[in-house]
Amino acid sequence: MSPRPVPSCHAAAAHVAVAQSTPVVALVGSPNVGKSTLFNALTGAQQGVGNWPGTTVEVGQGVWRTGVDQHPELVLVDLPGAYSLDPISPDEELTHRLLVDAPVDERPDAVVVVASAAQLSRGLYLLAQVREQPGRHLLALTMTDVARRRGDEVDVDALSQALGVPVVELDPRARSGGQALAVALDRLLADPPAPARRLGTVSGPDDDLLAAEERFTWVASAVTAAVRPSADPKVPWSDRIDRAVTAPVLGPLLFLGVMWLVFQLTTTVAAPLQSALDRLVSGPVSSLATGLLDLVGLGGTWVQGLVVGGLVAGVGMVLTFLPLMAIMFALLALLEDSGYLARAAVVTDRLMRTIGLPGRAFLPLVVGFGCNVPAISATRVLPDARHRLLTALLVPFTSCSARLTVYVLVATTFFGGRAGTVVFAMYLLSIVMVVAVGRLLRSTLLRTMGDEPLVLDLPPYQVPTPRIVTMVTWVRLRGFLRTASGIIVAAVVAVWVLSATPTPGSGGGFGSVPVQHSVYASVARTIAPTLRPAGFGEWQTASALVVGFVAKEAVISSWAQTYATAEPSSARQPGSLGTHLRAGFDASSDGHPRAAVLAFLVFLLAYTPCVATLAAQRREIGLRWTAFGVGLQLVVAWTCAVVVFQLGRLLW
Amino acid sequence: MVTSASAAPGTPVSPLRAVLDSFASGCGTVPEISLRTGLPRDVVDAAVEQLVRVGRVTARELQLGCPTGGCGSCALSVEGEPGCGATAPSAPGVLGRRPALVTLTLRSAPPAQ
Repeated sequence: MSPRPVPSCHAAAAHVAVAQSTPVVALVGSPNVGKSTLFNALTGAQQGVGNWPGTTVEVGQGVWRTGVDQHPELVLVDLPGAYSLDPISPDEELTHRLLVDAPVDERPDAVVVVASAAQLSRGLYLLAQVREQPGRHLLALTMTDVARRRGDEVDVDALSQALGVPVVELDPRARSGGQALAVALDRLLADPPAPARRLGTVSGPDDDLLAAEERFTWVASAVTAAVRPSADPKVPWSDRIDRAVTAPVLGPLLFLGVMWLVFQLTTTVAAPLQSALDRLVSGPVSSLATGLLDLVGLGGTWVQGLVVGGLVAGVGMVLTFLPLMAIMFALLALLEDSGYLARAAVVTDRLMRTIGLPGRAFLPLVVGFGCNVPAISATRVLPDARHRLLTALLVPFTSCSARLTVYVLVATTFFGGRAGTVVFAMYLLSIVMVVAVGRLLRSTLLRTMGDEPLVLDLPPYQVPTPRIVTMVTWVRLRGFLRTASGIIVAAVVAVWVLSATPTPGSGGGFGSVPVQHSVYASVARTIAPTLRPAGFGEWQTASALVVGFVAKEAVISSWAQTYATAEPSSARQPGSLGTHLRAGFDASSDGHPRAAVLAFLVFLLAYTPCVATLAAQRREIGLRWTAFGVGLQLVVAWTCAVVVFQLGRLLW
Repeated sequence: MVTSASAAPGTPVSPLRAVLDSFASGCGTVPEISLRTGLPRDVVDAAVEQLVRVGRVTARELQLGCPTGGCGSCALSVEGEPGCGATAPSAPGVLGRRPALVTLTLRSAPPAQ
């Protein structure tokens, strides 16, 4: 392999109209310290910006007419922002090549490290690395006013003495300090290059770490010598907020309060919109579909049953949930964009640690509240196989957004204005289940597991951007629509075919058999008795739960379809699903519908989320553990539902 | 004075070592490290960044939510590859680019060169 060509600052200088002997000065520094502002202020119109030869990295070059006797002109090269000379980006790679890899005589004649006084240590780390090369170096200190407002006073002379390089204080925005920089550079260029600062003995496998440690110690001693910190340092407002929202007790309480507000707002604001859409689908849209089928001569046939009783009723019912999903996604996007959800992650992480689960397990579990499928895949972030297994078994207990639609329908039907609280309670219960099942598994099957330190770097707070919130909401809504539409149409057709197929000996023909005599009802009736102790042993609900194995989005469409086809006289007007549900739960619970409904919601939360989750589990933890997981979910779901119903019937 | 959980009382500790020790001693966030070690926030930020560069700490961007379809960018990345085809939320040019939550985890040994 041929060696990589090393670029030279002097080659670049050939592109600007100056004498070949004009000294080349490079400006280096981390982003947002005022380096480019300084470059623009010094070079004015005498500059150009373009890609560095052989790279896609933009570098500014210009002539600085200093007006100083010995060096009236300098070529300034504005190198891209770099935090360190250990490169991790193409920009930093170029800086490294020009300042470290290039032969000494092809390096810049002087290097000005631009550092912000408000983030002095960060800037000085780069200077420490630059000083490890022989050459002429200078520190340009910007933003001293910002540091002063924080109460930090920088003694420039003391800093210069501690670092062993000239230090010039300047303010590129106010165009002040340029002359002082020119004079200091003039002196510096008159002197021979300084030898490289030698690191202490660093060798062995940890040499990078030891070298970094040595530099930090050097920087710390310079900062201690030169910066007089404020006696009363100001705590930034974001840190003050963080102390409250991530506090061990207040943090979780605030998080719960915020989430309650999200669900309350979602259900309250979405309710009238849902009703309007429901009326539209069950009225004009169904009538239009029936009318069109009449026109083409298919009125009264099985096609009408499939289209009006199946597709329109099922798909239409789920579409009425679009406002709900849109509002919830928008509220969550607002929280995310403001930076609050990141703080909620800290609270959740702490909860994971306190209950003895691996701290990192919170990552896929939090993702699981959106969708269980990527959450299962996200268990790959866990390095330990037993952590992955435990987390993959717990993810299905996180309440994904597909389950939300069913919660809302059932909660608004049975609990009216308190629907938001009921939905919120389901999410709380979801967390409780994760914790309880996690502890159970850790104390039985998965006893030997360690923990691994994890630190979160919180993003800054910001005012949410309407454009970003809208885009994120739309992307998530589109994802919901894509998944829901495909699954629902397939489920609706499958349910319709089964419900149109007569059982042997029932006497009816395909498409004309009453649904209660169909194969669909027959299968559901064999399952329904197992659900009677939980108070929802009606075959329509049992069948909806079976369909829910495919996907939770299909539960409602299955209900809508079954109840619509159960009453042929109402096929043209499927009517309110809520009325049918109330009657159904009333009958199956012996007059304790609320207890039965709560038990149903608990069952829905805990049993297998969807086949896609099972597929993801099989991929990550294998068939046997997936089967174990399904069994575990069914046992937990059935047991909890029965307990809730049997206790609930004593109260309601 | 810079403090570290593992160092003996009174022993001077380099800022980098103090930050590294904070990971192991149960600090949950970067501001918490700053509070516990007494180091200014910019020193902690610089130290964390350098620890990432020398391979002692792994940084991974997170997006908390995801679409129902499971096609969002979240904690799916494996070995640096985006697991679901989406890019990290703060990457340039990404839809809805914004500051992201970053998880920092200790690596037991530096990666092989």
